Amino acid sequence: MATESEDLLQGTLDLLILRTLALGPQHGWGIAQRIQQVSRDVLSVTQGSLYPALYRLEEQGAIVADWGMSENNRRAKFYRLTRAGKRQLERETESWHRFAAAVGRVLRTE
Amino acid sequence: MSTLRRGIAAVKGLFARRRLEAELDEELRFHLAMEAAEQLRQGASREEAERRAMLKLGGLEATKEAARSARGYRRLEALGQDVRFALRILRRSPGYSGAVVLALALGIGANTAMFSLVRGVLLRELPYRQPDRLVVLHQHDRQAVTAEQLFSVPDLEDLRRRTRAFSGLAEYHSMWFNLLGGAQPERVQTGVVSANFWNVLGTRALLGRTFSPEDDRPGAQPVLVFSYAYWRRSWGGDPAVVGKTLQMNDHPHRVIGVLPPVPQYPDENDLWMPTSACPFRSDPHMIASRQMRGFSVFGRLGPGVTLARARQDLAAANRALLAEYPGDYPTGGYRIDATPLLAELTARARPTLWLLFATVLLVLLIVCANVANLQLARLASRGDEVALRAALGAGRGRLLRQLLTESVILALLGAALGIGVAAALLEALIAFASRFTARTGDIALDGWVLAFTLAAGIATGLLSGSLPAVMASRGIAAGIRAGGGGSPGQAGSVRLRAVLAGGQVAVSFLLLVSAGLTLRSIWNLQAVDAGFNPDNVLALTIDLDWAHYKTPGERRAFHRILLDRARSLPGVVVAAYSSSYPLDGLGRGIGGVRVEGRYTPGADLPQAGFRMASADVLKALGIRIERGRGLESADREGAPHVAVLGHALAEQLFGPEDPIGRRVAVGSGQPPVWRTVVGVIADVRDLALDQDPGNAVWLPLDQEPAIAGSLLLRSRREPAHLTAAVRAIVRDIDPRQPVGRVQTLATARAASLAAPRLTTLLLSAFAALALAVTVIGLGGVVAFGVARRTREIGIRMALGAGRGAILAAVLREGLAAVGIGVVVGAAGAQLLARLLARLLFGVPPTDPITYGVVALLLVAVAALACLLPARRATDLQPSLALRAL
Repeated sequence: MATESEDLLQGTLDLLILRTLALGPQHGWGIAQRIQQVSRDVLSVTQGSLYPALYRLEEQGAIVADWGMSENNRRAKFYRLTRAGKRQLERETESWHRFAAAVGRVLRTE
Repeated sequence: MSTLRRGIAAVKGLFARRRLEAELDEELRFHLAMEAAEQLRQGASREEAERRAMLKLGGLEATKEAARSARGYRRLEALGQDVRFALRILRRSPGYSGAVVLALALGIGANTAMFSLVRGVLLRELPYRQPDRLVVLHQHDRQAVTAEQLFSVPDLEDLRRRTRAFSGLAEYHSMWFNLLGGAQPERVQTGVVSANFWNVLGTRALLGRTFSPEDDRPGAQPVLVFSYAYWRRSWGGDPAVVGKTLQMNDHPHRVIGVLPPVPQYPDENDLWMPTSACPFRSDPHMIASRQMRGFSVFGRLGPGVTLARARQDLAAANRALLAEYPGDYPTGGYRIDATPLLAELTARARPTLWLLFATVLLVLLIVCANVANLQLARLASRGDEVALRAALGAGRGRLLRQLLTESVILALLGAALGIGVAAALLEALIAFASRFTARTGDIALDGWVLAFTLAAGIATGLLSGSLPAVMASRGIAAGIRAGGGGSPGQAGSVRLRAVLAGGQVAVSFLLLVSAGLTLRSIWNLQAVDAGFNPDNVLALTIDLDWAHYKTPGERRAFHRILLDRARSLPGVVVAAYSSSYPLDGLGRGIGGVRVEGRYTPGADLPQAGFRMASADVLKALGIRIERGRGLESADREGAPHVAVLGHALAEQLFGPEDPIGRRVAVGSGQPPVWRTVVGVIADVRDLALDQDPGNAVWLPLDQEPAIAGSLLLRSRREPAHLTAAVRAIVRDIDPRQPVGRVQTLATARAASLAAPRLTTLLLSAFAALALAVTVIGLGGVVAFGVARRTREIGIRMALGAGRGAILAAVLREGLAAVGIGVVVGAAGAQLLARLLARLLFGVPPTDPITYGVVALLLVAVAALACLLPARRATDLQPSLALRAL
């Protein structure tokens, strides 16, 4: 199992969570699974940082949580994006692209 | 303390801690189950799957902790910890905690009590409907003798007609009448008002009703409304009084209602009646004359009308009146103004209350500085504990918060105790405030006051705790680096403590100066030559009933018999009757004075207060005759009209010429009654000891038989025992005639000083408290310095330094703080003096003698406070001192 994720920047984790939730409401475990699957096992979220990140985003008002039924009929807490969260996602996606492009340019120069 | 803990628990409950914990737990368990299922699906055994799931989560509790901290209620939990820890620490040193709490309780208690006065009197809304719309109208006259000119009936009618700014204008004056039908004949003060008075103020009757326009028609059946205080006092709050018929001014009066407890303003009226029921006000001449100015006017601003707009409206009406009736108004400077009712009602109390409030705030500031000083000293001895906690990983912010929590808890305990202090002080303070304002009914320890106390407590805690806390947390790093054992905060705190002590000295200086100035002022007032001799004079107010003494002859007869019989009482040296007497609080009649042969119609007349009095009145009051003679028994009815002038008036009218034999007329009556000036007497401070005497004219009682006045008896010894005998005489002459207020002139004089004396007493008490706290603080600073320098002192003594040199070195530290404090305080006192200036009599707010004496006193007391701990330094044994460290 890949471990590059250990050094995931905090802001990056937030961005990944927001992106995942943009597809629809999801519970904590589902979010972690989804990030791992989509990144083809490159990014693995340690749950120790997942839940603090979720709670922080909830405090900031980017996401809200409701209790609902999971796919295997257990009570689970589902998170979904708020309007503020959508704006934050757009903002951070853009700045991430800028950042990545800048890093890329630096790496390309010899 | 358990209350506090319960309080914190409540706060936690508020944040639904339990629910959040349970949710967190459930969420993580769900996660574990899902993960385990996933692992199971990938082929792990059940046991292995659960182990892996847990491993991946990184430990249940650690994850929970991280999640909690992200959530924020972590902060609250830390507060709970801080509080618990602080309570433990404080319990461990009960002496220190007790001293601090007590000092804070005194400081915060005094503030709570003063704030309840300021709030009740100055800030609280008046208990009327939309009270901010209410105004009082005043007429100002460039040279009026009294502060305000009242209105005449036609004045008011014109104002009603010619202004648009008011939704209502109401008339008011107050008189004393005799009321029959209660337990005994009673002298009652009666507010006489237009029917709309209570409508304008916006007050409904508590029982029955207030006046209707029908009640105020000429010839209507007279009706009365009781004030709440009088109803309780004289009728025991009996609701059956409504509907009763009582006898007054020879007419039956029906009681139609009782008022709620509104402020006893403008006067302490027992009863209220409509203008039609007042024999004085319903007189046709009174109604028609523009110059009979005896009435106050209250108004309610119309919807949306500003005060400025109302003033313009009044000014326009005023101009029209002056143009239309030029003969009826003094020329020049005559104007009508409106003042908000609240400002009017509290005008006298305002400067005193703000001054005292500023004073107690300063006292609290001193207490804060002192508590800060105590905490610094204690930190020095707690250094090891603080350093240890720092070494164990407590962050600097956390330590700072911990120390602040301690001082806020102390301050809140002090505030709680302070409420008790305030409750104990409040009754005395209400009695004090009643000398300035009718609003004392509105003073209470209500929610606002308690909120103020809470805020004061928290602010005090933060203020007194922040300096030591910052010092300590800054010192920690240094202490640890130095290898432990150091006392955090010690290095910088010596200077800081000196600064704090200096600050206390400065504020104390300021307070002592204001106390000193008011003391000098009271001294001056007590020593002031009032122009009369109050010793052994008894004054009994005997106002004759309008209904029974209609003619001058009836009044003369009563006066003559009364004086004859009073003169023969044992011990009486002189007996006289006068329409009023100095400092009786009622004032005199005011009239313009013309000089025969010099009068031009329309010219401004010098105004003078006039009295009607029997022969010997000057002897009874001990007023000095400067020229000519006083009033004599020969000045009777039918004899040539005479007048005696006060010094100031004689000077104003005649300058260097001899006034004796010249003729003057008082008032605007036509044709004028010319009176020959037969004497000039010394000026008398009639209205108040701190007011200039003003102009005075005395007329013979027999020639102007007053209906209201007082019997004045000068006796060989203390005259109070004469009261019963005089009452018997009055009852004998006329059983329906009550005796009103009875007091000695000495009492009247003392009462006129009661308010400034109480203010001085309070200021002095606060200043003394400040001084005591400061001296303790100062002594502490020096003692601290000695303790810190034990080793240095030991070395210096071992090297042969004399005791004197050591003493001087130690004292220098304390006295430097005193010196700086005095200089800063002197500068600050100039500011406070500005607040004080209006309350001072005969002493400038920058009086150098007061400043000098206070400075000397402060330095002397401070030197003493420093000397005691400093002696400890010189008593050191060098060998012991060297071994001590």
